[in-house]
This record gives sequence, structure tokens and C-alpha cells, in this order.
Amino acid sequence: MSFTRMMEGNEAAAYGAMVSRAEVVPAYPITPQTELISHIATLIAEGKMRAEYIKVEGEHTAMAAACGASAAGARVFTASSSQGVAFMDEALWMPPGRRLPIVMCFVNRSIAPLGSLRPDHNDSLLQRDKGWIQLYCENSQEVLDTIIQAYKIAEDKNIYLPVAPCYDGYFVSATATVTTVPDQAEVDDFLPPYKHEMYNLMPEDYEGDSVSRRSIAESRYEVQKALDRAKTVIEEVDKDFGTKFGRSYDGFIEEYACDDAEAVLMTMGSMTGTAKDVIDEMQAQGKKIGLLKLRGFRPFPTEEIRELAKKYHAIGVVDRNSCLGSAGGGIVVQEVARALYPLDDRPKLMNFFVGLGGSDVTMRQIEYMAGKVLEAHESGKVKDEVDWVELRDLGPVM
Amino acid sequence: MDTNKLFDEYYEKSLMQGGTTCCPGCGGPLFWRMILDVLGPNTILYGGGPCAGCATRNIKLPKFGLHFSFVADAASGIVAALAAKGREDIIVVSGAGDGGTGDISFGKVSAAAERNENMIQICIDNEAYMNTGIQKSGLTPFGAWTTTTPLGKEANKKEIPMIVAQHKVPYVATSSVAYPRDLRAKVEKAKGIKGFRYIHNVMPCPTGWRFDPAKSIEVTKLMVDTWAWPLYEVENGVLKVNVKPKQRPVEDYLKSQNRFRHLTDKQIEWVQGNIDEKREMLLKNDGKKIII
Repeated sequence: MSFTRMMEGNEAAAYGAMVSRAEVVPAYPITPQTELISHIATLIAEGKMRAEYIKVEGEHTAMAAACGASAAGARVFTASSSQGVAFMDEALWMPPGRRLPIVMCFVNRSIAPLGSLRPDHNDSLLQRDKGWIQLYCENSQEVLDTIIQAYKIAEDKNIYLPVAPCYDGYFVSATATVTTVPDQAEVDDFLPPYKHEMYNLMPEDYEGDSVSRRSIAESRYEVQKALDRAKTVIEEVDKDFGTKFGRSYDGFIEEYACDDAEAVLMTMGSMTGTAKDVIDEMQAQGKKIGLLKLRGFRPFPTEEIRELAKKYHAIGVVDRNSCLGSAGGGIVVQEVARALYPLDDRPKLMNFFVGLGGSDVTMRQIEYMAGKVLEAHESGKVKDEVDWVELRDLGPVM
Repeated sequence: MDTNKLFDEYYEKSLMQGGTTCCPGCGGPLFWRMILDVLGPNTILYGGGPCAGCATRNIKLPKFGLHFSFVADAASGIVAALAAKGREDIIVVSGAGDGGTGDISFGKVSAAAERNENMIQICIDNEAYMNTGIQKSGLTPFGAWTTTTPLGKEANKKEIPMIVAQHKVPYVATSSVAYPRDLRAKVEKAKGIKGFRYIHNVMPCPTGWRFDPAKSIEVTKLMVDTWAWPLYEVENGVLKVNVKPKQRPVEDYLKSQNRFRHLTDKQIEWVQGNIDEKREMLLKNDGKKIII
């Protein structure tokens, strides 16, 4: 039976893994992912979840064990954060090239030095080039639903790539919001048991290396093509999920309150909730500003961005990451800029750094950023291409 | 006796076909051939280590591998997947070299032992990073020349089998391709045990040890016969010295390879002293529980 109650993001993720019938969970604890794996340990101990939990000695082993289990035919779930993701880096290269449909939650947390336990997106965004699919979630419900969707996407025989549902530590992982855990039979109906058509390590059926030796270029190109195909699959899976469960997330980009908007702010992750409130207020004051929530970062929704660029005259990208010494600004804005470049008529593009190291993204900051985007649209001039908003004194927090 | 026919029959059944890319005189192909004969086809192979990987390239078994620094880890995942699917009849064998086992992934081997993962972990020890071109590892013996110890290694070889044994795993053994009967018996025994089983095999490496490839078995046998590499097992905490050859002076072994040619008489004497002590310790505790 499905049930609904207040639930933190980490608990929702554990239920997501449970109803997805993950069979092997190799994991190593790190704040703020810890509650997720201890919830899973409890679900297994209580007999509610049937899975082998490998209590590994580090994240490098966690991902390696995930690869072994996935190749041997098990559905695998794991999760990590921050330093753990960095420690796992070498192993994170393996699943895309090996075409292993592992699902791993990145519970976002900033990376040391000046260690903060709170979130920014550098841990997951630094994994953006390896071939993982990345979907950023805003609240507990979206985390749970995205995990179910993630397996459906990852195990599609035209994809076979790992998928990472990402969500902010604390702001999502430890904040309780109303969440529905769907009925097991309905999830089973949506997500059939895992069977890999490229891998088979069972001795009685083994017929030699099923994944042949290819050049790096060929292998990378195949992953790129799979990521291209994933764009359609991600949209379809989200739509089908909506039909079955009554909730969906607009695939890659949610356009929020954009009906009359001429300029937009683009956010990712938990700050979106705050931004929605501010945008509502500004619209009530007659300001023509809307909000784009970027949910799918890998593969990057280039075509959608180009379509949106026809409607909006200025885009302000909010980056909760650092990308030091770059061509200009954060990681997300550079992707957006690349998507926009071939267009003859490009919108004004601005970039804002906020919330690094998990500092609060305040309503006042969002109002400031939205105001700057509108100003650029109205004046036709961009004053600051890159704005370190957090270092500005915008007055008392509101 | 028609030897060609004998060979053909053996080759037909062998799980290792199609040749290897190992150096001449490498103990790798010999080792894998012997243990696979015992293990049989109901086996999944993980890893192998770069040099040993050359030997396992054409093994006719389901196999999986990631990279050098990934030891015992994905094998734990395979073991878990088999448990989840109720297929504990399949043997999981995980192999790595001395650098992987003793240095970069030592923690992984220790953790797999601590979890008592249901697999046979094998260390194929050629006493240095041979695939990268003979660099010192934690398992390079005292005094040995490598390209990173041009004056000879200053520290001792890590006693990995004894360290693994102290994890209270059900079975630990040392082996040598120069003693095939002992090696096969140990693999046979390991095959019948559940839990983490560890077999540490020192492999002759003519390229890195600097000797004539034709003398591989001779050199390896000397290693055992001088007690530089004693053959023992630790089963449920009880030590058993399996092979007790009449002790030959270690000088015979050291002089058989150019990696030791710079050692002074005094240094050789010191090595001999260490070996005598080790031999005495082993024989004193033969048949006794050695796990604390």
C-alpha cells in the first residue's frame, strides 16, 4: 500500500531504493548522506527491504563493488557526498564506459578546504564529464520519484548508463516535506526486474567477453550517443511516471510562472523552492520575470535551451559551484553559453554565484538577481557578466 | 605414449587457451593453468593485476576487471550479487599483484578479509611493480635492486599472509609454482571452504629479478629450499608448515639473481639470520594456533 507522511530527503531516497528493489547496496557513510544508508540498513534489518548491504571501507571500494554487482546481474544502489565523491573519482569513470546501469545519489556537499558540511554542487558537477546522467531534485518527493525513474532510464537497453539523482545536503536531505511512498506492486509494474543484455557473468551462459575491446574514442562516442538517446528516454520516463503516479517533473527544465515573463532566472536544486516564492511576489508587483528550474544537467538540454532562448530576452544563471579560472562564471552558465552561441539572436546572459559552501540562498539575494536580469533586459546592457552575489551586502536577511 | 595426443586432450579441457603475452620464463601462465585445473569452469574471475592480467587474458571463464588499484572490491560486489540471486555455488576468484595487494589496495584486501567475503583472494607476488618496469613495492625483499632502489631496498618485505591470517579468516596459504602438488592441494582445500580464503604465491620474474628465463623453476625452488619463501597454511588459526626442505644457505638463492648481486657478505649474513629466525618460529609453532 502507498502511504504519505512527512519525510526527510534521505529517508525518501531509502524508500526509493527499497521500492525499486535494489538488490545490492555497497556504501560508506559520509555526512550528509549518512542517514540515507542507515535508513537502508534499518529497512534491511527489519526485513522490509531484501538486499545485500556491503559495508565497505571507503568510497573507492563502494563504487567498485557496485560495478561488480551490476555486471553480475544485480540492481545496485549507492550514495555519497563531497570528499567521498572525490575519493571515488577513479571508480566513477568505470560504470559509463562499462555500460553499468548503477543508480547513485549524490547528496550534495561542498568540498574542503574550509570544510563545510553544507551543500554546493561542486561534488556532483565535477563528475559531469564521465558519462553519468545527472538529475537534480528539489524536495523529498522528487528524490524518491527520481530514483524510480533513474532505474527505468539506466536499464533501458538503448541507454545502459549510470544515473545520479542529486539533491542538496540538509536543505533536502534533512528537511521533512510531505512525501508519498508509492505502492510496491505499482512500482513493480512500472519498473520490471533488471536484466542486462550486454553482460552475463554466469558461468553456464558465458560466451566470452560481451563488452569487446574498443578504442577509447569509440567507447566515449558510444557513451555520447547513449546520452543523446537518453534525452528522449528521460522525457518519456518522466511522462509515463506522471501517467502512472500522478507526479512528473517536466523532464529537463521546469518553466515556472513563465507565461508573461520576458526575462528568467535559472536555478538548480533546493534553492528553487525559495526562488519560486520570490518570483511569485515579483510577478504580483507586475514584473515580467519567470523561473527556469534545471533538473537534467547531464545530458545537457541544449535543444530546450535554444527553444527557450526564443521566448526570453535575458537569462540569469545561478551557479551554486565554483569554477575557478574559467572562461567566465560557474559550470552551469558555461554550458548555457555554449548552447546559446550558434543562435543569431541570443538573449542577454548573466551569471551569479550564491550559496557556496552551503550558505543560505536568501529571498533578498534572489530578488536582487532577478532584478539584475530584468535590468539587463530593459537596458539592453549587462553590467556584471559574473556577479559574486554572496560577497555583496544586500542588507538584513529576509 | 603419444605426447601430442596427451597435450591435445589436455588443451581441449584447459580453461586457458590461445597463449599469453607474458615474458619468457614468467610463472604466471603456469600458476593460472594449475589453479584453474583445480577450480574448474564454475568460476568467475575478477582482476588479476597488470602482469598477471597478461596470463589471464585468454582464460575461458566469465571474468571482470576494472583497473590496477581495484583489488578484491568488485569481487565483493559479484559475491553479493550471487548471494542476492541464490547462486553461492559459483566460486569467485579475485587476483592481484604484490603492489595491488600489499600497497595501494592493502586496505581493500584487509576489509574484504574483515567482512569474510566468500571468495578466494590470490596474490601473485613477483616482488616489485614489474609491469611498469621494475619499481620497488612493499613486497620487494630487503636488498633487492629495482629502478627505484638502485642501491638495494632498505626495508623488509611485508608479511602479508600472516597479516591476513590475523583477520581470523578461515584459510590462508603460501604457495610456489616450484611445488605444484602443494599448490594444487591448497587450491583444492580452499575450494571446499566458505568465506575469505587467501593464497599468496611468489612468482618467478626473470625480467625483474635478472636471471635466465630457462631457470625460473630452479630459482623458485631455491627460494623455498632456502626458506626465503616457506610454504605453510593457516587453517582456522592453526599453522601448518607444509613443506620442510633441508635448509640450503640463502646465499645460493641470492646469487641466482642479479638483483641481489651488490649485497655484501655482511648483508647476506644478516639476511641468513632473519631467515633462520623465521624458520625457527614457524617450526616451533607448527601445528599450533597462532591467531591472537
